[in-house]
Amino acid sequence: MEAWRVIDFGKQDIRYMMAMNEAIHRCDEGNTLIFWDPTRSIILGYFQKAAVELDLEQVEDYTLVRRTSGGGVAFSDDLNRQINYGVFGTVDEINFPLDIVESYKHILGILIDTLEEYGLNAAFRPINDVVVDNKKISGNAMTRLDNKTLQHGTLLLDFDIKEMLRILNIPKEKFMDKQIASIEQGMTWMDKELGYKEDMHVVKQKIRKNFETRFGVKLVETVPSEQEEALARELLPKYHSDEWTYKR
Amino acid sequence: MVLEDYLKGIHKSKGGIIRSFLKVDNGLISDISFSGDFFMFPEDAIDVILARLNGTAATEEAVLSAIKEVYGSEGIQSPGTTPEDFTISIMQAVGGK
Repeated sequence: MEAWRVIDFGKQDIRYMMAMNEAIHRCDEGNTLIFWDPTRSIILGYFQKAAVELDLEQVEDYTLVRRTSGGGVAFSDDLNRQINYGVFGTVDEINFPLDIVESYKHILGILIDTLEEYGLNAAFRPINDVVVDNKKISGNAMTRLDNKTLQHGTLLLDFDIKEMLRILNIPKEKFMDKQIASIEQGMTWMDKELGYKEDMHVVKQKIRKNFETRFGVKLVETVPSEQEEALARELLPKYHSDEWTYKR
Repeated sequence: MVLEDYLKGIHKSKGGIIRSFLKVDNGLISDISFSGDFFMFPEDAIDVILARLNGTAATEEAVLSAIKEVYGSEGIQSPGTTPEDFTISIMQAVGGK
């Protein structure tokens, strides 16, 4: 059976993790699954302007960073109940289809399988969401370098939605169109659905197992290569720079 | 940039929100930028679109044609978002205050 890498970074500064995401993507040292626990932070999608998407006066005590992939703001609160993951793979016909939506669907099947194990009614909602009873529980983004896919995202175990609403300037049109009366009704998280706090480590283990089943591979626990670490260090100043954060 | 100085358009495509910020000088688009949660592959093609739009006539026909041209030359994929979606957002800005 083919062996792919799995790296769990634990709690890390989000700028380091964004640099590491880009470094692993660029180094292309084989298909890889990563996890990290984000610190209090806001990640802008590649095409988003900070001043438009955020209430800048409210975000001064957050680490603000831009990522290389499109999509919307990713918000991490102090609850530390989010599983953040990244999947790196070379485009092929089965595991990483060229078609973007098909590729999301295939990878997000892992999260759906995991949520279903808990008896939750999870489904893929194109382009890039996983929903439980049509409420968003996971947001995801994808980017490509040549034929290498990077998909990263978050699965919510708990979420401070009031705090998110405080810092964001969310266009109401997005939610009106989905006929959802309020943003609060449009989102959910595992603790709320299950009625208890599942151990995050247990959820991660289930994700790993479902990953192995879906891709037909064995995950081997490791750490980033020297080359990846070196490139992440080299990229780090970019992720600290206003030039990058306020690029758009 | 001071957002208040710009004409603004907003349009929700299936793939995400597209907000446009631009000026119109003598019937030509200038200083255009976008903000939104859409996806585009490759990402940097957005800069080619913006560069192509600056100096383009502020008409629906010219804008759509310019964006389609860059989609072709750059091989852009933008799931759920089309050149028409960008054009709607831009023309809303052009027609706005």
